[in-house]
Amino acid sequence: MAHDMEQLYQERLKRYTIAMRNGKPDKVPIRPFVAEFTAKYAGYTCQEVTHDYQKAFDAACKCAADFDWDAVVGNMVYVWTGLTEAQGTNYYAVPGIELDPDVGFQYKEPSEARAYMQPEDYDALIDDPTGFLYNVWLPRVSNDVAPIGSPATFRNNLAFVKGGMAMMQYFSGFGEQAARLRAESGTVSAIAGILKAPFDILADKLRGFIGLTMDLLERPEKVLAACEALMPHLTWVALSGADPDKNVPISIWMHRGGVPFVSPAQFDRFYWATLKPIIEEIISRGHQVLFYAEGNWRPHLKAFAELPAGSIIYHVDQDDIFAVHEVLGDRFCLSGGIPNFLLSYGTPDQVREHCKKVIDGVARDGGYICDAGAIVQDDTSIENMQAMTNFVREYGVY
Amino acid sequence: MSDERQAEKPNRPPGVCIPWQEKLKELPEIKGDRELVQRVWEDVDALGYVYIWHCLLSF
Repeated sequence: MAHDMEQLYQERLKRYTIAMRNGKPDKVPIRPFVAEFTAKYAGYTCQEVTHDYQKAFDAACKCAADFDWDAVVGNMVYVWTGLTEAQGTNYYAVPGIELDPDVGFQYKEPSEARAYMQPEDYDALIDDPTGFLYNVWLPRVSNDVAPIGSPATFRNNLAFVKGGMAMMQYFSGFGEQAARLRAESGTVSAIAGILKAPFDILADKLRGFIGLTMDLLERPEKVLAACEALMPHLTWVALSGADPDKNVPISIWMHRGGVPFVSPAQFDRFYWATLKPIIEEIISRGHQVLFYAEGNWRPHLKAFAELPAGSIIYHVDQDDIFAVHEVLGDRFCLSGGIPNFLLSYGTPDQVREHCKKVIDGVARDGGYICDAGAIVQDDTSIENMQAMTNFVREYGVY
Repeated sequence: MSDERQAEKPNRPPGVCIPWQEKLKELPEIKGDRELVQRVWEDVDALGYVYIWHCLLSF
């Protein structure tokens, strides 16, 4: 049995990696980024998989064992709120605490006035990003961490010990989870390493999108300098988590560079100018990058086409995957393109029909990985996920 | 950037919270294997770096 699973794992790894390098494997790989869907399928609440990561691991393994998927993420309900609560993080609404147990966790972006970084903080971030995070940002995003200069407290000291040890425990668990997926169901762990664009870091966790939008007009040089200051750190973190065997890609989760958040000129000057060198550095080390392009990015596809052929996998969320294929298909593998609303509210026949269109339209020469457009949450129909999986497995044979 | 600001700017490259050269100034003369002390300092220091950047990126 173990030998069969290892053989299955090797077949899936080969299928997945060939497709990611824009080649034609034996079948269209299936790699759904299933998050709270796993809870629904395995009989857990959102609270259980968000707050108890072992249950999230179990749910991911159950899905991987029951569906014929080539690759999954060990836990796509990635934010373990046991950790964030342990260190007093105040920007999440947690299922079972602030939210009903069957609602996925939410990020509470603060108002401009309460942003975790204020306009006058730019120089401190630019001069010393790591020091800024410890000294300024963390006390603002934690109810327990005491600001620099204020008396140390029991809760402050505990926040670091508990937060640090919890992070070590959780990240160590991913290695065990990858081995478990391989042994129990012959499933590949889809990604390794995390990256975000410098601009997205400013928008998501520091200035907030509204504040950053104002900064683009009122202090653009500071925004650019801040993005540049973040670049080497984001590169370092991405490479530190990368697959040493260079089989699976580093994933970048792309947010505020898409349409309609910035203009094409702002994309060129801020987003891409400070992201492209990071991507090029990662590529030069022999790793691929999965562009998880959330939302719409069609005006920027030509910029992405500047990258070396085969260097990225481009994931399609809300864009027309056939139009994306026209621009990027000869250079990069595409993934996604199966609309989440269809998987949630369509019929199995409609799902099969759309999968056929996608395979016929973009996968004929390989270079396509089947997945939903966005993270698969608990509103998704189990029947439709089965329809997608079974149809692609049957029809997607080369 | 002003000269004053440049002078006060900490030298904290990627992967580092407290640079070895800064720590070294606090230590007495190292009697044993200096490279061992430096390597272990830098390895453990990097964990502090990973912690805060993953707080930002992952959580």
